[in-house]
Amino acid sequence: MEKTLWKIGGEAGYGIMTTGLAFSKIASRSGYRLFDCTQYPSLIRGGHNTYEVVFSEGEVSSTKKKVDCLICLNKETYDLHKTRLHKESLVIFDPDDVNAGDEGKKIPVPFKKIINELAGQAIMANTVALGASVAALGGQEGVLMKVLEDQFLDKGKTVIELNQKFAKAGYDYVVKNYRSSVKHSLQGVTSKDEQLVITGNESFSLGSVMADCRVFVAYPMTPASSVLTVLAGWQNKTGMVVRHAEDEISVINTAIGASFAGARSAVATSGGGFALMTEGISLSGITETPLVVFIAQRPGPATGMPTWTEQGDLLFTVHSGHGEFPKIVLSAGDVEEMLDLTLQAYNLADIYQTPVFVLSDMLLSESHRTLSKTTVDRLVKEYSVNRGKSLAKTNGERYLRYRLADDGISARLPVGTKGFYYQANSYEHLEDGHTTEESSTRKQQVDKRQKKAEAYIKNDFRPPRIYGDIDSETVFVTWGSVKGSVLAAMEALASFGKKTALIHFTHLYPLDENRIKPFFSKEKRYILVENNSQGQLGKLLRQETGIEIREKLLKYDGRFFWPEEIVDYVNNK
Amino acid sequence: MSTINDFSGYQPTWCPGCGNWAIGVAVKTALVQLGFDPSSVTAVFGIGCSGNANDFLNCYGFHALHGRAIPAAIGIKIANHKMPVLVLSGDGDSYGEGGNHFLHACRGNHDLTVIIHDNCVYGLTTGQAAPTAKKGYVSKSTPNGIIENPVNPLALALTQGATFVSQAFAGDTPQLIDIIKKAVRHKGFSLVNVLQPCISFNKINTYGYYKEHTYKLDNDYKRDDYRQALEKASELNEEKFPLGVIYEVDRPDFTGELPQLDGEVLTEKKRFTGFDLLIKEFI
Repeated sequence: MEKTLWKIGGEAGYGIMTTGLAFSKIASRSGYRLFDCTQYPSLIRGGHNTYEVVFSEGEVSSTKKKVDCLICLNKETYDLHKTRLHKESLVIFDPDDVNAGDEGKKIPVPFKKIINELAGQAIMANTVALGASVAALGGQEGVLMKVLEDQFLDKGKTVIELNQKFAKAGYDYVVKNYRSSVKHSLQGVTSKDEQLVITGNESFSLGSVMADCRVFVAYPMTPASSVLTVLAGWQNKTGMVVRHAEDEISVINTAIGASFAGARSAVATSGGGFALMTEGISLSGITETPLVVFIAQRPGPATGMPTWTEQGDLLFTVHSGHGEFPKIVLSAGDVEEMLDLTLQAYNLADIYQTPVFVLSDMLLSESHRTLSKTTVDRLVKEYSVNRGKSLAKTNGERYLRYRLADDGISARLPVGTKGFYYQANSYEHLEDGHTTEESSTRKQQVDKRQKKAEAYIKNDFRPPRIYGDIDSETVFVTWGSVKGSVLAAMEALASFGKKTALIHFTHLYPLDENRIKPFFSKEKRYILVENNSQGQLGKLLRQETGIEIREKLLKYDGRFFWPEEIVDYVNNK
Repeated sequence: MSTINDFSGYQPTWCPGCGNWAIGVAVKTALVQLGFDPSSVTAVFGIGCSGNANDFLNCYGFHALHGRAIPAAIGIKIANHKMPVLVLSGDGDSYGEGGNHFLHACRGNHDLTVIIHDNCVYGLTTGQAAPTAKKGYVSKSTPNGIIENPVNPLALALTQGATFVSQAFAGDTPQLIDIIKKAVRHKGFSLVNVLQPCISFNKINTYGYYKEHTYKLDNDYKRDDYRQALEKASELNEEKFPLGVIYEVDRPDFTGELPQLDGEVLTEKKRFTGFDLLIKEFI
């Protein structure tokens, strides 16, 4: 299926993000599927920002190298991205600012003159350019106007009309002057299904509400911050309590306190913030307090590269928290998996009374993708909130918070239940919660907690998902957002007649050796593809299952994989 | 009507003569006199000799991490804002390791009763200087005398927005009971800083020392005068310790400011299911 890439670039602070999202919604409402991504430095003003949207009639899982429509809000955009242009690319620019070269077809639009004629501010250039690009790709004016209306609904009629006026000026200019160059890629197709245009972070947020999370606590950290702002923005509707605490240590301890008192609770952060939380992870482990932890990874160590992408914290998460206790690590590869895994995560945390992690990375966290509303509705319909084993009272016997059980899971009794009391204890404890240092009890409680991991393997572990024909000679192995680039690469390879498959992990820890080994039993070319320098899933597989994947394609410059570079690697190595 | 026995858990392991005994008795007595029973109160414990009260006090309890009792208590209060929540913690716990949480909890006026066992020393780790130790205090970790000035708990709480600030002495149990009762009744962040001699490791801040350096506030002391309260708090610089409620004002507490919690408690609310309201933002 043909894919079209629209891209806008300019200085930070000039509305690149708003314009990009508007274009994504225009494409989605015109019936297309899409994937978008943005690249920006850790600055509020200045620096080079870009936003690109790939749309197609078929599913889109990744961006691509060739740009089909490039909007240059400044000269730098043209200079930096001209190598991605081809003969048929449309290049939209203000001839007073940019002296475009020979690459692509030129669509000069005098942004500044148009703005001056309409007595507008310089920042409106992005809106004029949006209108111009929608016209150049054959998009419908009505869809453009409606998206702008919805986007600025909160800001009132004046702002809506102002934006519509500038967008229309750009649109009309192209229709009038470049009718013969106009393409038809955005003209619209019939789609049965309404689509959400949603990021990984938003998908986690939506999933958290659907899972009945009632307390969410966070401290802002790129690229996890939008979970905090989205959930805070919704709290008056949803009734969730959202606390922006003083630091990540307070964040996790507040969430654990709320969970102890009976509210489903979650936190969200990135690597550095998570490092501060790890003592709390251990606390959740020994007090057996359910907790969902969302981690949007970015390149480390330390402050690293805040606005770029990496999968560097898998092993850190698996080994987080001092002492030995069970934890469950899930990781999403796209927005649909994110919604599904988020819903699961809250149930798993309550069932196993232990921390459950949902891993993301900057690319997944901040990129929008279309997600069918039918799928969302189905996931909600199939979901039921499972709070795990609990009691309203006991049959006259004493309640034991940490009662030994075959599956290691003791029933919870709501804090505040009349006629009872108990404590949750960060010290090693007796079955009733009192502190102990006695050797046999210590061993019993360690074993009890570990049994929960075994119960999870037996009842809830999900083996990796297979894409393509598993009998193919070349098989990729991934976790997280790399999935999208690999799927796009597989599609390209298939078009050259090369069959490949993908083994994609979403339940990452603990791993069920027996159900994973069969996927790796053949002598063939397995390629581990990870956005990190050490091949962390490879190490984890070897540690937990003994499987060793020798061939690794690793990228750790803060950038995501281009499908094209995966194709080149497979063909040339 | 509950009794002190209902609240009494294991026999405490505190050293004979330790000020913690008086605090333990005072907390239980105050809870009985306020009409609570062990099912109707939650206490969060820090780590240290003070935190070990987790095994000695019957109630819903959460024995937190060192320094992290306050944020855990904030979470409990958010989940169940009708439940009285007490924090039993030490000077090292809440003024040292958890100092950041302490000052932000004052700002938020979280409705907690924070009872700090202030003995100027780390007892459970056998006698290092605490953040409240007087400058020059010689201990195992500060053999040449501590360089830092002591934390001023009352001034810290006042300036960061606490709405109930008090000080008591473990050598005067009746007054301690009275202050704890007032602190629990107060809606908002309540600090009870208890001067508590550590007879094993602190040979400076003894019962005799505090008898000499403390005094009770007059009966006609005005509790809502912020500047006067700051003056009282700053008497620490002259080694004078006022006993009583030095400041109390009404200000909505954190959960009182949340429209989500203007009715039933969070854990008892009906599940929100208006997902389409949210989904339409993404279409």
